[in-house]
Amino acid sequence: MTPLEQIIFLLKAVPVTLAISFLSFLLGLGLGVSLAFMRIYGVAPLRYFSDSYEKFFRSVPVLAVMLLLYFGIGPLAPIFKDPFFTSVISLGMVSGANQSQIFRSAIGSVGRTQMLAAISIGLTQLKAMRYVILPQALFLAVPGLGSEIALLIKDSAYSFIIGVIELMKHTDILRASQRSLILPYISSAIIYVVMTFPVATYLDKWGSRKKRELGL
Amino acid sequence: MTSILECRGLTKVYGKVIAVNNVSLGIGRGETKVIFGPSGSGKSTLLRCLGLLEKPTKGSIYFNGVDVYASKQDLNKLRARIGFVFQDPSLFRHLTALGNVMLGLKHVLGLSDAEARRKAYEALKLVKMEDWANYYPAQLSGGQQQRVGIARAISMDPEVVLFDEPTAALDVELKWEVIAVMRDLAERGTTMLVATHELRFAREVADEMIFMDQGQIIEAGSPDHFFTSPNTERARKFMAKILG
Amino acid sequence: MLFLLNYSTFIISGFLITVEVTLIGVGLGLILGILAALGDIFGGRIVKIIVNVYVEFFRGSPLIVQLFIFYFTIPMITGVSMDVMVTAILTLALNSGAYQKGYLKGAMEAVFKDQLMAALSLGLPMWKIFLYVVIPQALRIVIPAWSNELASMGKSTTALIVIGVREFLNTGISITAQTFRPLETYAFITITYFIWIYSMLKALDILYNKVKIPGLEPII
Repeated sequence: MTPLEQIIFLLKAVPVTLAISFLSFLLGLGLGVSLAFMRIYGVAPLRYFSDSYEKFFRSVPVLAVMLLLYFGIGPLAPIFKDPFFTSVISLGMVSGANQSQIFRSAIGSVGRTQMLAAISIGLTQLKAMRYVILPQALFLAVPGLGSEIALLIKDSAYSFIIGVIELMKHTDILRASQRSLILPYISSAIIYVVMTFPVATYLDKWGSRKKRELGL
Repeated sequence: MTSILECRGLTKVYGKVIAVNNVSLGIGRGETKVIFGPSGSGKSTLLRCLGLLEKPTKGSIYFNGVDVYASKQDLNKLRARIGFVFQDPSLFRHLTALGNVMLGLKHVLGLSDAEARRKAYEALKLVKMEDWANYYPAQLSGGQQQRVGIARAISMDPEVVLFDEPTAALDVELKWEVIAVMRDLAERGTTMLVATHELRFAREVADEMIFMDQGQIIEAGSPDHFFTSPNTERARKFMAKILG
Repeated sequence: MLFLLNYSTFIISGFLITVEVTLIGVGLGLILGILAALGDIFGGRIVKIIVNVYVEFFRGSPLIVQLFIFYFTIPMITGVSMDVMVTAILTLALNSGAYQKGYLKGAMEAVFKDQLMAALSLGLPMWKIFLYVVIPQALRIVIPAWSNELASMGKSTTALIVIGVREFLNTGISITAQTFRPLETYAFITITYFIWIYSMLKALDILYNKVKIPGLEPII
């Protein structure tokens, strides 16, 4: 294979890497928003659950979760025998804890007086949340979510260990078939940087600009 | 009388803006001089150049008659002998009031811990802050922070102290405690160059007042001169505005 | 889970390796982070470019690829091969330094902006300003961010299995291969990671409250 063909071979795996990252981000988003709500507005058991979930999944390695689900639970629940599915679930569950923290701190930063102002004009607490607090919190959460997406793209590389055919796996295949230790690794690293850098930087800049414009 | 600190033809340019334009002035031992003028007139920049915190674009600065930049002296050694009080007190936030005053005594003058502590207490007493010695800057009011800033500067026994609008950032009721401390220092014979809008303070203590506008000295003279018959229309108008 | 007792020395040695590489990695990373932050603040154009390429590379690519590059590619190019543990610690330190540079730079710049003039006016030379004014404040400001970094490095060390380091997760893989009891083994491993990392976070919390100074609030 020429160097160009090798790079094209690597690029062919990019959609899988992006699919894992995107799906796990969505799962994490759903979990994160729900957990943040439970924590801030939920009754005691929900608060307790959210708190424990966040603490636990922020303190365990995603690769350990992946191996536990794939090798440990897989034999009992066949759905976890699918490496792609298992990767998305593991990354998503861990990301849920991270995103919960991002949303909690964003909602916290909107400020207590906003809620008071909203209630003072007669909005219910739920409506105040929906129309006043959340729209502002979303802007504040954007930079954090940007780094979270970048983190998921990088962490998706762990899925090659349980056999998902993504970018890291293609890198490994290339290393074996070409007997080359240089081009596959270097190109692959650059492809990852090219995927993560714009997302994180752009969303960070966009978020900071919005924050300034809105005076948040 | 020979000046302790003097500048000749001092000019400072930032990009295209001429902040200070060909200014010459000197301050002799025991004198108190006040610089006043509208904001943006170059007072701060002039003071920072005289404090050797910024290098002039053109012109010379003399400390005890020696051209500072031409003689290539160790700037840090000279800075230690020129006190500086900032508009924003700029206290070191990880140190208590006492710690702030002790830092220079220990690490610049090389005093022992006990010696530095004794001198720092003395300086805090002068500004009536000895009861607050163990408080952190964030626990003090703006006026108290500024008094610690003054103690930090005078504890080093500087030959001259430069004040860069020390009361400008303070609420009215906090200004007086700082002004009282400065008046006290002036009466003790401290050599001081003060940029300020507090013209009543100037009238009481200044040997000379200097009016600056647009980077230049427009007029200089005694407080009586300025309060009775300033030469220029600009100075008269500015004084009228400040004194209301 | 009692069968795991048969492997206790094996498990303990794996766990100690994980703790060791985490602490050394973050510790060396702190030094690298301070140097990189200083380079980015005071360096010339070339130094700034080097620092930023370093940071973007290590923050932008997966640790797995970085480990492969340091274990395979670099020895291939230079002809110098390193011990696997040295490679592991070096890569972790470089990785951690890239992350730590970000918030150390922010903290140091904040202190410089606020107090550089005041420190200069006392006659302090640059290195003393750095030692007595900037570092004591910057380190306090970054402790919360730093505890995140320690947790994240602790978790990232699992990537070391790809170059064959016998760290904690790897002992789990070996035990599973011998006992065919993946569920209990991996559950045990996962929970142990949780206990360890969670206690580290708590410990840093306590430390932070001990050295906290009013008015020196953390950034991030």
